[in-house]
Amino acid sequence: MAATYLFRRAVGAVFVLWLAATLAFLALKLTPGDPARALLAASGATSDEIAVRRAQLGLDDPLPVQYGRYLVELVRVDLGESWLHGRPVGQMIVEQLPSTVALAIAATAVAVVLGLLLGLPAALRQGTWVDTLTTSISVVCLSTPTYWSGLLAILVFSLYLPLFPSAGQGSPGHLVLPAGVLGFAMSGAIARVVRAQVVEVLRANYVVAARAKGLTPRRVLFVHVLRNALGPALAVTALQFGFMLSGAVVTESVFARSGLGKLVVQAIVWRDLPVVRGVMLVAALAFVLTSLAADLARGWLDPRLREGLQ
Amino acid sequence: MNTKNRTRYVAGLALTAALLVVSLAGCASRPSGQIRYGLTLAPSGIDPHVNASSELGIPLTSVYDTLVYLDPETSEFVPGLAESWSISYDGMEYAFSLREGVTFHDGTPFNAQAVKFNFDRITSPDLKSQKALFMLGPYDRTMVVDENTVLILLKQPYAPLLDSLSQVYLGMASPTAVQKWGADYQLHQVGTGPFVMEEYVPGDHLLLKPNPDYRWGPPVYKNRRAQAAEIEFRFFTDAATRSPALESGEADIMGEIPPQDAKRLESSSDFKIQVVPIPGVSLMFFLNTTRPPLDDVRVRQALLYGTDRKAVISTVFQDLSPLAYGPLAANTLGYDPAVQAFYPYDGEEAAALLAEVGWDDSDGDGILDKAGQKLALEAVLMGWGSMPEVAQLLESQWQALGIQLNSRVVSYPEALQIAQEGSYHLIPFNLSGSDPDILRKFFHSQASFNWSKINDAEMDGWLDEASRLTDRAQRVALYRQVQLRVMDEALVVPVRDYVNLNGVSNRVRDLRYDGQGWFPWLIDVGIASSGK
Repeated sequence: MAATYLFRRAVGAVFVLWLAATLAFLALKLTPGDPARALLAASGATSDEIAVRRAQLGLDDPLPVQYGRYLVELVRVDLGESWLHGRPVGQMIVEQLPSTVALAIAATAVAVVLGLLLGLPAALRQGTWVDTLTTSISVVCLSTPTYWSGLLAILVFSLYLPLFPSAGQGSPGHLVLPAGVLGFAMSGAIARVVRAQVVEVLRANYVVAARAKGLTPRRVLFVHVLRNALGPALAVTALQFGFMLSGAVVTESVFARSGLGKLVVQAIVWRDLPVVRGVMLVAALAFVLTSLAADLARGWLDPRLREGLQ
Repeated sequence: MNTKNRTRYVAGLALTAALLVVSLAGCASRPSGQIRYGLTLAPSGIDPHVNASSELGIPLTSVYDTLVYLDPETSEFVPGLAESWSISYDGMEYAFSLREGVTFHDGTPFNAQAVKFNFDRITSPDLKSQKALFMLGPYDRTMVVDENTVLILLKQPYAPLLDSLSQVYLGMASPTAVQKWGADYQLHQVGTGPFVMEEYVPGDHLLLKPNPDYRWGPPVYKNRRAQAAEIEFRFFTDAATRSPALESGEADIMGEIPPQDAKRLESSSDFKIQVVPIPGVSLMFFLNTTRPPLDDVRVRQALLYGTDRKAVISTVFQDLSPLAYGPLAANTLGYDPAVQAFYPYDGEEAAALLAEVGWDDSDGDGILDKAGQKLALEAVLMGWGSMPEVAQLLESQWQALGIQLNSRVVSYPEALQIAQEGSYHLIPFNLSGSDPDILRKFFHSQASFNWSKINDAEMDGWLDEASRLTDRAQRVALYRQVQLRVMDEALVVPVRDYVNLNGVSNRVRDLRYDGQGWFPWLIDVGIASSGK
């Protein structure tokens, strides 16, 4: 049973990876701009020299040939060499992964804690000033762009109160501001989902029944309400985690961190197809894995889903 | 009640965790004599033989030595790894006598074979060089004459060669290290320069330590020994974070400070703004001479007369950039001050020229028209270098003349494509370079940046001839003619000379830049111990 389930998920994952790679290829091919010209024009290369380089990069071949070669390299897990950097793409991604993953994990932790702190009181005190306050805060979280909150955080916690470094990485202290800012932005969505789910579950008959049985409020909340309400929040968190692996580019720039987000944005600007493909794959893989993990965790939280799996 | 307690408990936990992190953060301290230098581009590759970014030269100009150096004070070339050189009468053979007793950081001796190895590497198709290869121009091959003499042979005379050889892109790398590291060489670069590349973590930092054996510095260096204990480079790609990083002590030197922040930093007693003019082609709008209505020189001249460049310099660049009058920045070799007499701001002259061509606001909508066509121009902009802000100002200035300017911002590769296709009226651009041959990249009919779409056989001849002449005075005379022709024909609207705006802590001493204006001579830079 579990084996067929995993097999189905694996087939789905391969499909997602193929789709991501194909979209990356098409998007870059449809965007105007010749990578060879972009790389060489400012150096005074002549049109002939640029043409030679274009051929060398395989950009003269018909599109289906380029796509076929692209897929073959993909299957062989040969990520190729960056046209801009002139280095192996796999190595470049491996270099950027630690700081990217550290930021994603820390920011997710902040987002979950903050999301629960904002979402739970809102649901439990629905309709009161507590609800209004925490819901408003979560809207602020959702709608504050990270480049602004990032600069604000630098001004307050790095310039006026010199508590944390504003730039770079290396020590846990370097992670506080970027993870805080990114987690702050992500927590809004989690808080909204937590609130909505908890409100819904609180109305369920089994919660009324649990209360009627005389269970302590704490037991009702943690065993009966949260367990049932957290599934969707988990799914949202997993999606956001996947997104942060390649989409945290603003936070990375503001805090002068390295990361996959910055790498892929630069690669898109320069039409550096091998790097875009490499990062897309890592991001797609991360999405597949985190959503698998989230689904398994939901199954563990909610036995009804487990039944459905079988 | 219980849920309330629980919430408090969770909040308490979070606070404890935060405090723990604060105490951890306090542990990092900075070694004395360390300089932190903020770089501004997302670092793409940093092998000078391979990559083209100007950012790479900031650290690596001090890791590598070059055969010759350009003295920015005199515009003369002075000895580097080459003690002396001679150029054959036909300008196709360059003989260099190399300094003896020079070793790379890994102990490999520097000699004629090493020079040949470097040029063979740069010109090898497998390396896919993005810049160094093209800086060698019509390079043919290098011959080792003896242990300390090399001969560089060209297919045609190429006057900018010495200028190219003075730049880090043609710096001398250790053959041993290049062979040992292969594809990983970027992370383990080895030169003969005053600093050793100690560590490079892409995207995070690059660390330089002094080379204790260094004693062959060029005469442009003031010191024989590095004055700093170490120099750490970090990458600040977001312009808005650069001055906060300087103010919070995350950096002692910061490149490319936005002009608004520069004004504010200037008023602080802890920092100074060091303005370094960059030679090369000024920031200017290329006017597409093949697309009506700009095919008429009078319309182009009207645009020049109708542009209040002083207002642009003070509004967008806070008066920190020199005003550009012609295609070359004022500190470039061969710059002709005669361009300053062209097209002073004169709205009436502009209006008169447009009326002469037959443009008139017949329907009273504020925009000139002729034969049912409105006088509307399309500008294609790239997002950097304040180009969009400049275009915005021009839009309002030209509107007063009845010219409508529509602009759109595109990426660099897309702008190149649009330029190829010719579907634009104006594109702004600037490019740095200390040799006036840079004009050939823009105003030769076959040039990759011929964005004015000019096809002037006489100007092609001047540019080609000037690139072949080794006599400097003759070259300068030809470049004067080119500059005057560009302005006569109103091929461009010059805006400003590019400047490298550095924010520098007052503790930093003797920060000076090379002839390109971008690359600091780090050997001389020192830092006083923190007063705080």
